[in-house]
Amino acid sequence: MPPIAQYVFNGVVTGGILALPAVAFSLLWRLLRFPNFAVSTYLTVGAYVALMLNRGVRAPIEVAWLGALVATGAVALAVDRIAFRPMRARRPFSLAIASIGVAFVLENVVRFVWGNDFRSYDVPVTRATSVAGLRIGRDQLLILGVAVVMMAVAQTFLLRTRLGIAMRATADNPLLAAVKGVPTERVIALATLGGGALAGGAGVFLGLDASIDPLMGGGLIISVFAAAILGGVGSAPGALAGALIVGVMEEVGTLVVPPTYKTAIGFTIILAVLLVRPTGLAGARA
Amino acid sequence: MTIMTRRELLKASGAAGLVLGAPALVSAQSKEPITIGTLCPLTGAGGSYGPDMQRAVVAVVERINKAGGIAGRPIQLFHEDDQTNAEAGVRAARKLIDVNRVVAIVSTWASAVTLAVKPLCVEAKVFLIGVSGADSVTQGDHRGYVARTQPNTNLQGRMYAKFAATQKEWKRVAYLALQTPYARSFGDAFTAIVKAAGATITDDLIYEDKKPSYRSEVTRVLATNPDLIMLEGYTPDSVVMVKEIYKAGYKGAILAPSFAINAKFIEGVGPEVAEGIWNMDRAPLFDSPAYKEFSAAVPRTDQSPYAPQAWDQMSIVALALAAGRGEASGTVIKNHLRAVANPPGAVVYSYAEGAKLLGEGKKINYEGASGSCDFDAIGDILSAPFAVQQVRKGKSELVQVINP
Repeated sequence: MPPIAQYVFNGVVTGGILALPAVAFSLLWRLLRFPNFAVSTYLTVGAYVALMLNRGVRAPIEVAWLGALVATGAVALAVDRIAFRPMRARRPFSLAIASIGVAFVLENVVRFVWGNDFRSYDVPVTRATSVAGLRIGRDQLLILGVAVVMMAVAQTFLLRTRLGIAMRATADNPLLAAVKGVPTERVIALATLGGGALAGGAGVFLGLDASIDPLMGGGLIISVFAAAILGGVGSAPGALAGALIVGVMEEVGTLVVPPTYKTAIGFTIILAVLLVRPTGLAGARA
Repeated sequence: MTIMTRRELLKASGAAGLVLGAPALVSAQSKEPITIGTLCPLTGAGGSYGPDMQRAVVAVVERINKAGGIAGRPIQLFHEDDQTNAEAGVRAARKLIDVNRVVAIVSTWASAVTLAVKPLCVEAKVFLIGVSGADSVTQGDHRGYVARTQPNTNLQGRMYAKFAATQKEWKRVAYLALQTPYARSFGDAFTAIVKAAGATITDDLIYEDKKPSYRSEVTRVLATNPDLIMLEGYTPDSVVMVKEIYKAGYKGAILAPSFAINAKFIEGVGPEVAEGIWNMDRAPLFDSPAYKEFSAAVPRTDQSPYAPQAWDQMSIVALALAAGRGEASGTVIKNHLRAVANPPGAVVYSYAEGAKLLGEGKKINYEGASGSCDFDAIGDILSAPFAVQQVRKGKSELVQVINP
C-alpha cells in the first residue's frame, strides 16, 4: 500500500483544477441567483480554443492558455447576452434549466467543429520526480501554482477594488446596490467574463493533465457542484476549500471503494452537506 | 491511409451492380439475384475498419458474379453504414431485412451493434455473421442464425495470457481494464492462465471511463510493483492511462489490444511514451493462399484483421448457398455453414475452388484469409492465430504470430 500522502497530493492537484470552475460557479450563482450548469462546459470551450492555437497556429502552450482565458471569457459573455439576460426576471429554476440547454449547445458546437475524437496538446510528457517518497510531476506543480495565483487574484479583486466591492454589494442585495448607483449590468458582465476565463483556464489544465474531448468539462459538473455547495454558495475561499476537499476525497476514496464508484463520492458529499450543514463551510449568509 | 470515401464506395457498388445487371454475363439459366446486405461501420469508432471490410465483400462478390453467380444466380449486395452505433445499426438492418429482403447480413463490427441486430435476424431467419468479440454475441437461443469469425473475449484472454507466459521476466502482472461488458470475462480468462504459468497477479482493477485523472488508479497499481501491466481499454482512455503510467516513472512492460494501440494512440501520447508497448489482436493467416488472393484484390495500408474476416464471411456464405444448390434463404446458409467450413473435406481456399468441388458432389473445408474458419455448435470459431506487435519508433511492428 502506498503512503496515503501520495493520494492526498493527487487529490490536491485535482482539487486545484476543480477550484477554478467551482469559484466561478459559486460566485455567479450568488450574483445571478441561479446555478449556471454551463460553467463546466466552459472548460471544454477553453481546452479546444487552446488546442486550436497550440496545434493550429503552433502557439506555445502558455500563449494558447492566455488565448483560452480571453476567448472563453468572451464566449461566456456572449452566452449571457443571448441566453440569460433576456431571462433575468424569470425564476432561478427556469434559468438553471436554460443553462443546461446552453451546455448542450456549446458541447455540440465543439463536436461539430472538432469532431468526437479525443485530442491532446503538443507538449512533451515528462516523468515525475520523487520528493521524499512522493511522486510529483513538473506540470502538476505548475498547474497547482498557477491555479493558486489565479485564485489569489480573484480574491484580491473582490476584496480590494471598487468593482469587486460593487460586485459583492450586488450579490448581497441587487436592488439596494442599484439604488446606490452600482451599474448592475456592468458588474454582471465583468463577473461573467472573469468566471468564463477561470473556467477556460482550468479546461487547458485538464487537457494537459488528461486528454481533450467534447465531454471533458460536462463530466465534471457533479464535482464542481459538490465543491460549491460544500464551500457555501457565494464564497470564493469556500469554493477553493470545497474543491480541495472534493478532490482529495475522490482520490483517497479509491482506497476504500472501487475506482468505478468515483463519481458517487461527489454525490455523497452533496447529500451529506445538504443534510448536515446546508449553508456549507463558509456560509452563514447563503 | 487510403480509405475509400463514401462516394468511391458507391461507385464501386454501382460497378458491381452493373455487372449484375448485364444479362450477358450471367449464365444461360439466369434466375433472380440472391440479395445479401453488408452492415459495416463506415463512420464512428469503427470507421477506420469498415470501408476496408465492405471493399473485401464487394471484391468476393465481383469474382463470384463474373464466374456466373451461385448456381446461375448472381449476388446482389446492399450496403448500409451502422455508424458504430446500435440504434443506427438496427434501423439499417430493418431496411435490409424488410425492404431489400436479404438472406444474410455480413460484416458487423462492434459487439453492441451485432447484439442489437441479432434478434431481428433470428426472428426473420436471416443469417448474421460479424467480427464482434463479446461472449454474449453467440450465447442464447439464436437457432444457428448467428456466427462470427472473431475469437470471443474468453479465447482472446487466454491467447494474451499464453503470450505473457512466454516472457519469463514478467513475474508480477497487474490487470487494469476499462469498465466494459467484456472486462471481467477477458480478465478472468487472462489472470487464470497467467497464474497457472507461475506469475503473480499483483492487482486487478477496473476503472471508469471519462474521469479527469487516473492518477490514484495508477498509484494503486504501481504500488504493487508489476513487471507487466495488462491494459484492456479503448484508445481514448488508454492515452490518458499510459501517459499517467509514464509520468509516474513506470519502467516495466505494457500489453494492450491492438485496436487501442493504433496510429491515433501513438499520435496522442507521442512516440517516446508509446515506445515498447506490446499489443495483440487476432492475426490474418498471412501465408495462406486465401490471404494472398485477398491482399491482391483489396489493397490496404494496415494489417488489421477485420477485412480478411469480411472476405471469408462472404466466401463462406456463398459456399453455403452453393451447397444448397442456389436455393436462397438464411436457413440454407445456417444448415450448410459447417459442412463447407469445417473438416472433413477437401481443403479449398476460395469460392471458385469450393463451388467446383461441390458441383462434383464432393465434401469441402474452406480455409480462409483470416484463419481456418471452423465453427463450433454455437457459431464461435474454434481457434485463431494472434499477432503480437510492439511499438518501435512510432509504429507498431509485427514481432511474432502465436498459434493456439
